[in-house]
Amino acid sequence: MSTKIGIYICECGPNIADNINIDEVIERISSSEDYKNKQLIIKPYKLLCSNEGKEYLEKEIKDNELTHLVIAACSPRDHEITFINICKKTKLNPYLYKMVNIREQCAWMIPDKKKATEKAISYIKAAINRVLHQSVLIEKQLDSNPNVLVIGGGITGMETALSLASKQRRVYLVEKNSILGGNAQSFKNLLPRQENNTDLVAKKITAIQENENIEVFTDSKLENAVGFFGNFEVTVKSTKKDQTANEFVVGAIVLATGFALMPTEKLKKHAYGKDDNVYTALEIEQMMKAKGKIVLKSGKEPKSVGLIHCVGREDRGYCSRICCNYMLKIISYLKDQSDTILIKDFYKDLCLPHKYDQEYFDTMAKKKVDFIRISDITTKKTHITYTEVNGSKKEADLDMIILAPAMVPAEGTEELAELLNVPLHPTKFFQEAHSQLNPIGTSLEGIYIAGGCHGPQGISESVLQAKAVQGKIVTQLIPGEKIIPEVKVSEIIPDFCMGCQTCREVCCYGAITFDPERGICVVNEAICRGCGNCVGSCPSGAIRAKHFTTIQIHQEMKEAIS
Amino acid sequence: MKKIQTKGVKISSNKDYRDSIVDILKKMLQSKSVDAVLVPMRVPAKDSYAWILVKDEKLLTEADPAAPIMPIQGARALSSFSRKGQSMLKIAALMRPCEIRATIELSKLNQVNLENVTLISYDCPGALPMEDYLNDPEKGEKKFNDILKKLDFQNKSIKPVCKICDQFSLLPVSDLHFTLFHDQNNTMFLIANSNRGNLVLKEIGMEASHTVSAWANGIQEIKDKRAAQKKGRFTQIKKMVEGFNSLLATFSDCIGCHNCQSACPICYCRQCYFDSESVTSGTDLTMLKAKKRGSISLPQNRIMFQVGRMSHMSLSCVSCGLCTDACPVSIPVAEIFSYVAHNTQKQFSYSSGENKGEPIPLKTFKLEEVKGIQELVEDAEA
Repeated sequence: MSTKIGIYICECGPNIADNINIDEVIERISSSEDYKNKQLIIKPYKLLCSNEGKEYLEKEIKDNELTHLVIAACSPRDHEITFINICKKTKLNPYLYKMVNIREQCAWMIPDKKKATEKAISYIKAAINRVLHQSVLIEKQLDSNPNVLVIGGGITGMETALSLASKQRRVYLVEKNSILGGNAQSFKNLLPRQENNTDLVAKKITAIQENENIEVFTDSKLENAVGFFGNFEVTVKSTKKDQTANEFVVGAIVLATGFALMPTEKLKKHAYGKDDNVYTALEIEQMMKAKGKIVLKSGKEPKSVGLIHCVGREDRGYCSRICCNYMLKIISYLKDQSDTILIKDFYKDLCLPHKYDQEYFDTMAKKKVDFIRISDITTKKTHITYTEVNGSKKEADLDMIILAPAMVPAEGTEELAELLNVPLHPTKFFQEAHSQLNPIGTSLEGIYIAGGCHGPQGISESVLQAKAVQGKIVTQLIPGEKIIPEVKVSEIIPDFCMGCQTCREVCCYGAITFDPERGICVVNEAICRGCGNCVGSCPSGAIRAKHFTTIQIHQEMKEAIS
Repeated sequence: MKKIQTKGVKISSNKDYRDSIVDILKKMLQSKSVDAVLVPMRVPAKDSYAWILVKDEKLLTEADPAAPIMPIQGARALSSFSRKGQSMLKIAALMRPCEIRATIELSKLNQVNLENVTLISYDCPGALPMEDYLNDPEKGEKKFNDILKKLDFQNKSIKPVCKICDQFSLLPVSDLHFTLFHDQNNTMFLIANSNRGNLVLKEIGMEASHTVSAWANGIQEIKDKRAAQKKGRFTQIKKMVEGFNSLLATFSDCIGCHNCQSACPICYCRQCYFDSESVTSGTDLTMLKAKKRGSISLPQNRIMFQVGRMSHMSLSCVSCGLCTDACPVSIPVAEIFSYVAHNTQKQFSYSSGENKGEPIPLKTFKLEEVKGIQELVEDAEA
């Protein structure tokens, strides 16, 4: 079959047509000497992305038996996929198609019509050069396992497990402690409505235990995980003496490992010992749940209490978001206990981000609480020295001090990140794939993050993220459906590879393995996302990115910058 | 950096230095401290040397621990069998310091497996240029023996790149080291410089009890002299390669044979990028270039090859000089690459082959390095 390139120029209503002389583009390209041996079909169309446009294009490809396709229109971000889908409807391989952006990159940004036209011509010629050097790529289909591994049996992990488990989808829930429930089980009441917590956590634990599609591993941790989206081979090992190991295959992994409070012994500004009446907010919650009231070490109720916000925030470099709210909750515990109790609440900033929060704060403020805005504070046991924002320095001696330390990732987060090759944010919480566009994904397809391990947040956001993860998995890992991995991956040419393994060090996805027998590296195409890092790093030039080969880029650049 | 050992074993001083070394190597084989020894041997035609892995101690008599020439870089010999994994046999490799440094670089690139390998260095007075030696091998032998006898580390006959080498002695990465630089009494020392080295010493029943400060001072003196020579020579070399026109003039003799790359121990690629299809431009493109520029030198990419090789391997270059030996048109490739390597390595605060643990700049990325380069570019522009 001889080469026949179809070039279709979209007018995009007036968007392109008004500022690019499309007739001239067609005239200049069809008369160009560069393509005198090639068959070109070059036509304008008013709106290619319209239904009529799509039908027209499909018919054109079929009728003209096109071998290559160039679409000069808008940004590929808008409609590349639209035209890929049209290629798929015909016999034309979508990797023999190239889109040129003559709207954003030419018509919209160059006021001079003549110059815009010149640039459009050069870009279209670049695309023709490139498309002629593109190769057919065939999408593969892989079997997928619909089951899910959830790491962390706190509120987020339990919610995720309950949302996902079904007859077609088994969920394995791994918890490092001996009981489910995580941090949330220590809370007596829950924000914002102060409802009793026992119901929420206990109900979820019961639901999990009753669900035959959820298998729970307590006192266990993830020992190993290899594979890719749809096929992760995982080993879960018991941390008990017997160290029983369970191996199974899952299609996706959810990280819901939660948070811990910053260890208070690290705090230079707040020195206290075991016998002093200084507590963290979490200890107060535990005390409330166990004893039903807040008491001093002596067993007596305190008459004066100091609450300190933002403990360790400067060291950690972020706001923990929920502390101001739970400090208000502790105020309400104290005020319920004694109407006359003296409460001094020391804060630098108040973070009240939710729609319920202001009202809650106003209610608490009415209860005779000293809210003191400070610029600095140090404590020694229960003696407080502080500087108010107006600069005046003051001191106070109180019966009890309650600290709100920064939320930090739970212990073991770093090891887990290393095991799974999931990147961490500088704060050491897991790094999401994109803070807006993919906030619960990671750089690895099939591994998701939700809850406190994502960053400081309350139960409602954690549950929201659990639901978002559920949505992702339910729509992407459909039982019985095949997975189509990325085709534009990199490949290592064995005859050039010397096995220096530089590529393995730059691969963000863990897609490259070393084959000791042959002494060379190999790309796992199911994991590779085609980022091209390895291509650039290979000292021997042994790695090629499919669809971004040197010759393709060279041919395109040659024309675009000539 | 690792502290250099200050004590050594005194070795018999009456014998020829070569025999003294061979004696020790034999002891290593006898005590089963090592299973085989990698040493240079003179080829039967007596006009060159080859690397031989010797298991039979009787054959060691044929070995020449300090060959006058370097036809093949020792690191290449080691890599040829240890690239795909650890050696079954315990091997002692007796090599020049630059060969050991290349070995370390190759190990960082996973081309050499150092497991079960004992690296033995010796004070290297330099090597003779291949061309001179091949013209009259017997004369070359005599000349080199003379150099060794007189401990003439400033001899005019050695390779130009050896004259400016200041890493010719004990390296932090050597397991064992023979001091050739002996005093009037012909005293030679064997220094153990690592746990492995100490173990070998113990196994052959020797103990490092003599201080070697006199030797160390002597070495430092030579190092200082060599460093001064290096500084002077680099000023000349700089003129040869600074700016495009000088570079063009210096490499205008290049016939594009790529012998320098074949001889280079660091050029470990199976096929050089510059020998691949990727760099050959088609007829149309060549004609287009000729049309645009008015003229074009053919075959293309001779300068690009040199510059490309500099950017690919200069961070690991050990200035062994094999490239100059291999050049049929006598371009001082080694000194040029040594100069470039000196500067590129300085940029990354890296010294090739000196530290096993230090990651190779090619495989690491630090933001501050980029800043440094940016400043360099700005300086050049200003």
